[in-house]
Amino acid sequence: MGYFSDGMQKAINLLLHMDDATFSAIEATLTSTSCALIIATVLGLPLGFLLGYTSFPGKKLLRLVSDTLLAFPTVLIGLVVYVLITYRGPFGQFGLLFTVPGMVIGQSILALPIVVSWTAQAVETLDSRCRETLLTLGASPAQVALHTIREIRYDLGMVCVTAFGRVVTEVGVAMMLGGNIRYSTRTMTTAISLETSKGEFAQGIALGLVLLLIAFLVNFLLTWLRHKGRA
Amino acid sequence: MNTLFEAHDLRKCYGSITALHLSSFFMEKGETVALTGRNGSGKSTLLRLLAFLETPTSGTLRYFGNESEPRKEVTLLLQEPYLMKASVFWNVTLGLRLRGFGPEEQHRGYRESMLAVGFSDPESMASRGPGELSGGERQRIALASRLILSPSVLLLDEPTSNVDAASEKAILNVVRSLREKGVSVVCATHDRDIPAALHAREIRIVNERP
Repeated sequence: MGYFSDGMQKAINLLLHMDDATFSAIEATLTSTSCALIIATVLGLPLGFLLGYTSFPGKKLLRLVSDTLLAFPTVLIGLVVYVLITYRGPFGQFGLLFTVPGMVIGQSILALPIVVSWTAQAVETLDSRCRETLLTLGASPAQVALHTIREIRYDLGMVCVTAFGRVVTEVGVAMMLGGNIRYSTRTMTTAISLETSKGEFAQGIALGLVLLLIAFLVNFLLTWLRHKGRA
Repeated sequence: MNTLFEAHDLRKCYGSITALHLSSFFMEKGETVALTGRNGSGKSTLLRLLAFLETPTSGTLRYFGNESEPRKEVTLLLQEPYLMKASVFWNVTLGLRLRGFGPEEQHRGYRESMLAVGFSDPESMASRGPGELSGGERQRIALASRLILSPSVLLLDEPTSNVDAASEKAILNVVRSLREKGVSVVCATHDRDIPAALHAREIRIVNERP
């Protein structure tokens, strides 16, 4: 166990001395994850709301597709996007492969079904008396929709936090589309994977500690939002 | 003619289930009507039809008021009122906000309607959330959120069930005072004493389902 305590000590040193490689991986992770989350929420929240709020032919099928995509393996997303953005692929001319924008595309696809499905579920499970109350207070259809969104605001916060948690900890998309290039597309998860395979535990542990901290913050936010939602 | 509602051969079905079948129903403006009847007789369904939350499956229901925007005049207090995830002040003044009234009207309306339903210190309640309220308080706050709109027609679904004696007294006082102001009230109730307490015309809803 000596190597573990040794690795832990070195990891703390790396963090305290703001090691370039370690902090570059943290930066790449937070950049790609934040961009992916913004794209997924901008597209996913309205789509999910419409899916949960409105009735139209084929709604159940769309819901089923969205729910199925929740279980889409990250390596499969990586593979599909890789085929599309590789130099011989239809979008190869944009040079997205092994870049942060390339990773962002894959991570957005990973986060989108989470945002869509969970937003739709939040709308569907909202107490039906909410809509009736708004109508009996004289709300117009647009006002009913707006106040419905307001009423599920904490659930929508939980949706975003959950999607962030899923994307920040994934490794398949980042590895396949980012290529794990040091000081560029190396993220915390891909760095941990690489350093562990090399037997270099210090940086892996350092990044693992940061991931744990992020996981703690994510769960703290989720708990707070759940509490606010119930109150 | 001061007719407010007029219905003939009114029927509401949910799939194969007939929730309400009424041969006729009349109500005059300014009248207080108590709907009584057994569980499942269709009292709540009738209230939902009168509140324009639903449309009849068959038959006719006419409202002799602002027919283009009836929900601006008619409001319904549900049996188990829903309060938004917001403060008491926000809940009570929501209807005013939906109609574009400003902060001054909201604060004045809040105070008046909360006093009307028996809260002697409305300001102390303003920032409380729905989770911090008792059943009786929730019912009275929901009633205040309707009173603030000065409705022409107030529909109440079992307003005194699940409330304590003090809340029941406050609610009945409000309904009696509305009658004096010429507001039309329809109150569905199981309580046999309510029609007399409200000086209401009692309409017994009998299950006329086939």
